[in-house]
Amino acid sequence: MSTADAAKAERLSDPKYKKSWAFDFKKNWALYIMFVPVLVYEIVLHYIPMFGIIMAFEDYNVIDGYFGSPWVGFKHFIDLFTGEQFMTALRNTVCIALIKCTIGFFPSIIFAFLLSLLHHKGFKRTVQTFSYLPNFVAAVVVASLVMQFLAKDGPLTLLLSKFGLENQNWLANNKIPVFWIIYLLMGVWQSVGWGSIMYVAAISQVSGDLHEAAAIDGATRLQRLFKITLPNIMPMIIMMLVLNVGLSFSTGFDSILLLYMPSTYNVADTVYTYTYRMAFGGGTTNYSLSAASGLFQSVVGTALLILSNSLSRKLSSTSLF
Amino acid sequence: MALRKKKRSEEWESHMVETPTVGDRIVDVIVYTLCALVAFCSVIPMWHVLMSSVSDGKTLLAHEGLVILPVGGFTLDGFKLIFKNASVIRGFTNSIVYTVGSTGLGFLLATVTGYALSRQSKLKPIVTMLIMFTMLFSGGMVPTYMVVKSLGWVGTPWALIVPGCTNAMFMIMMMNSFNGVPREMYEAATIDGAGHWRTMFQVALPQAMNLGYVIILNSVVAQWNSWLPASIYVPNKKSLWPLQLWIQQITADNANFLNSANPNYSRYLIQFAVIVAATAPIVIAFPFFQDKLEKGVIAGGIKG
Repeated sequence: MSTADAAKAERLSDPKYKKSWAFDFKKNWALYIMFVPVLVYEIVLHYIPMFGIIMAFEDYNVIDGYFGSPWVGFKHFIDLFTGEQFMTALRNTVCIALIKCTIGFFPSIIFAFLLSLLHHKGFKRTVQTFSYLPNFVAAVVVASLVMQFLAKDGPLTLLLSKFGLENQNWLANNKIPVFWIIYLLMGVWQSVGWGSIMYVAAISQVSGDLHEAAAIDGATRLQRLFKITLPNIMPMIIMMLVLNVGLSFSTGFDSILLLYMPSTYNVADTVYTYTYRMAFGGGTTNYSLSAASGLFQSVVGTALLILSNSLSRKLSSTSLF
Repeated sequence: MALRKKKRSEEWESHMVETPTVGDRIVDVIVYTLCALVAFCSVIPMWHVLMSSVSDGKTLLAHEGLVILPVGGFTLDGFKLIFKNASVIRGFTNSIVYTVGSTGLGFLLATVTGYALSRQSKLKPIVTMLIMFTMLFSGGMVPTYMVVKSLGWVGTPWALIVPGCTNAMFMIMMMNSFNGVPREMYEAATIDGAGHWRTMFQVALPQAMNLGYVIILNSVVAQWNSWLPASIYVPNKKSLWPLQLWIQQITADNANFLNSANPNYSRYLIQFAVIVAATAPIVIAFPFFQDKLEKGVIAGGIKG
């Protein structure tokens, strides 16, 4: 054996070398190649935009780019928080998010309980299938349906007028909380069935023995529902609630773009739609202001998500990440 | 044992059905009514659109309230119009191209990444962190737009195919799915001399397709229904509009329908016909994939 080979063998058996990048790369080079596309994808389409956030602190213009545009510090944030438009949008965002994770959270759970009380398997399956459909209808179509049904002579408007409510185009109504309720109901209509899947699965995993024992002791079905099923799926309900709160500020506002109009901005404009309008809404564009508004939403959304995730970990020992 | 237990509890349930108390009966009536109501409310808006689309335009325009059956006689004028309408047809083909392209590319990316993440390497924790972080924080609309613009993709189909083709959730789901393939399979493949690429596509992927189909289905639905990227990246290029943007446009046009002098009433039907044409493929296909999609929700929800 030559000295070179011996040296090589010694190097190869060195535990330090086995932990080194060079060794790992030689062994797993195919995996490294597999990581290339995702790294390119993530860096170009997610991490460079994160760097691009600096434009929120500049008077950005396309010609000068990130490095040439004049630096203005927190000017745009001051503009946002002293401007009436953004503050209205912020108030609406908070209110819609709150409504969504309080009133909007329960219909799916109630629906799951109702499903669990059905005996007839075929009926249950049919109800489930029907209730899932709205989740697969495109946002544009849903918005179009809402417009038709709530128009001046729309079916829902006519139904409401039977209860003494004035015949009107409900989407043009800019009194609080008309638009918020419409948006809530639209969300519930879309998600009540699909959102119940998790709960239905959890309910079906509750031990049959418990129900049997309770039934023998004379518990009615409703008693069993509240005393056995509900406590058993409570950790999951808490987890879902906390995660809903975490996501509430940052997601679910895009459909508003399809439903609002200048005359209802005072109740329907949100941080998300404001961000969109400042950049792509036609008229004058202010990219930096839009980026500042978007950054604000991202930061609050992320903080809320981290907070709720750690809360969920404490409360029910489950977490998203 | 578990099976026997389940059977016993089912027998118990059926026994319960045979001797219901008055209270149980009342609960039953309420529960069945409410469930039927939910089912009714879920489908009636789409039924209204379907029936409107085969109604007579002029009668429909004057009609108030729900359309349970076609009003003014059954016609297919609306559908005839949309199939003669070049821009709607174009929207259809665009939507198909975007959906297929984006789903295909996204699934390939999710598969390769998911496989690489499921194997041990020193790069794995770093990439995992990079991917997970994008779930938490994003640059936002405008900075992303600027990147897509500097790539020269604004006003081209690429902006609608590449940026949203996959996401952290899909990649993590594929990783879990590859982790679920028995270790012996990988070992056998390695002993037989298969490299990572061959192991992934020929040995592991066929076994990981349970969640794979879920990802593909979710992606197809999301891409077919998506409209926001198109309104950001190709707002002025009508030849590139997906079907969803046309629906939005036609709905808006219909609101001003009566303003035009001497309107062609069949044109009023276009809105309904185009909605039916855009939604029918998904609604008809959905029941066949319902089980898979349900499982996906449960798998995705429990520790992504």
